[in-house]
Amino acid sequence: MLLRAGRSVAIALAIAAASLTGCTTHSVGPARTYDDFERKSRTTAQVALSAVETVRLLSETATAGKAFAAYTNVSISEQEDTIGEARSDFESIQPPGDGADALRARLDPMLDAAIDHIAAVRIAARRGELGSLTTIGAPLTGDSDALQRFLDDIG
Amino acid sequence: MKKILGVALGVLTAIGGFVDMGDLVANADTGARFDMNLAWVVVVGVVGICVYAEMSGRVAALCGRPVFDLVRERLGPRFGLANLLASFFINFLTLTAEIAGVALSISLVASVDYILLIPLVAILVWLVCWRMPFETMERIFGLLGLCLLVFAVTVWKIGPDWNELLGDVAHPHVPHTESVYSYAYFAIALFGAAMTPYEVFFFSSGAVEDGWTEKDLTENRINVLVGFPLGALLSLAIMACAHLVLAPRNIEVDQLSQVMLPVASVVGRLGLALVIIGVFAATFGAALETALSAGYVVAQYLGWPWGKYHSPRHATRFHVVVALAIAGALLFGLTGVDPVKVTEYSIVLSAGALPLTYFPILVIANDARYVGQEHTNGRWLNVLASIYLVILLAVSAATIPLMIITKGGS
Repeated sequence: MLLRAGRSVAIALAIAAASLTGCTTHSVGPARTYDDFERKSRTTAQVALSAVETVRLLSETATAGKAFAAYTNVSISEQEDTIGEARSDFESIQPPGDGADALRARLDPMLDAAIDHIAAVRIAARRGELGSLTTIGAPLTGDSDALQRFLDDIG
Repeated sequence: MKKILGVALGVLTAIGGFVDMGDLVANADTGARFDMNLAWVVVVGVVGICVYAEMSGRVAALCGRPVFDLVRERLGPRFGLANLLASFFINFLTLTAEIAGVALSISLVASVDYILLIPLVAILVWLVCWRMPFETMERIFGLLGLCLLVFAVTVWKIGPDWNELLGDVAHPHVPHTESVYSYAYFAIALFGAAMTPYEVFFFSSGAVEDGWTEKDLTENRINVLVGFPLGALLSLAIMACAHLVLAPRNIEVDQLSQVMLPVASVVGRLGLALVIIGVFAATFGAALETALSAGYVVAQYLGWPWGKYHSPRHATRFHVVVALAIAGALLFGLTGVDPVKVTEYSIVLSAGALPLTYFPILVIANDARYVGQEHTNGRWLNVLASIYLVILLAVSAATIPLMIITKGGS
């Protein structure tokens, strides 16, 4: 009984150790069907939307003088890394067919635009232009709307 | 007066020390994704930790030996070994997450990549474990952790519709954007964060380190029954902040800095400064607790001298294990693993191993040879503890399948 308990713990720990490979950020697997690809597109768009909205909120907070420069810089850089990794993971997925190609062609430019606009906010923040972050980050509102529409469309 | 002050300090330390990296991440993440629909899990979790922490403190105070020390003696070496392996592995993950959490909180002030700060933090943790007296260590980080009360101030400043907020808490449901599986997975994560095994190992070993006796049983009960529930209110405030500020903007929490963002956006710079200090203290305190717990479980299982009440010369092997655990966590952290993901995995996996931790406590707290006939569990406490044991078994059985089905909650 106890030996069995020990074996169970060993198996559980082995599963746990294997699962820790998932501790890397945004690991993705292959997409064999359109549904699979659509699901991964949705996840990518959600990650991107979250990053864009975080940077928008950070910009508003910093512009209102409610956040330190260091906190703002580091937090924006983290979101830039997050959306960059999400895009690179998404682009590494082989689209399984024409429908997936269309989905990819729609989402890719949105991600590119959001990354460019977040980079602009990050550059301004690093230059200490905290008071103008909301203005510089204004195009992020459009990115957010586009990503939200994309998510609504694919359901 | 001195006694009252001591009890008050103990309660404040328990509140400030209740929250760690797991609670910060799990509560903010669930608040942003599930609104207040999982708040009930915090309540269930805190009742569970109160029940079992009181028992483990009582056992330690009455027989002068911590729970892990007694597990091998009462339940045999094989059960003890299974318990040791599971606890040590989960504790190691938690230690990695806490050290990374400290580095992340410093990076938000120093504007330096957190990876570069991990070695510095690991050395600081080791130095404090090595040199600082136990009670001083407990008090400093527990009291500084009270800065996290700024989350409650943030909720109050937002001024939500309290009826609506409490209504959400009282009538939980699965949001239409989430599956039942992800709801259950995050419920387990919250439950695991509230009942993390290292908390009881540290609590009962700490009772021995502090030299508790039968006279301290009342203080034990007050610390647990007042301090922990108030600490849980802090957890709920973190969840409410994420629900009120992040969820409406579709922000998902995947960075520690996002946990603090509601405070900065509502309270401003002072709030941000307090929350950064609070997160630093909470994660540093938990890093100390997990590092020492690594030494406690190994030394207690193998019968070595242990604890900070021994000089390092007399508890050499205990201090070596603590140092090796910190070094291992340092190396794991330097691989660049995502600290938030490590935190999520550690709390979910700890939920999977909960019965191994809590079942022996229930057995020993009912054994008159250890606690004396008049201090064994009463009938109602046993009923409650047994109900929790069933919950723990169910949670344990569901953890790995849910982790696979939901792909780690993603």
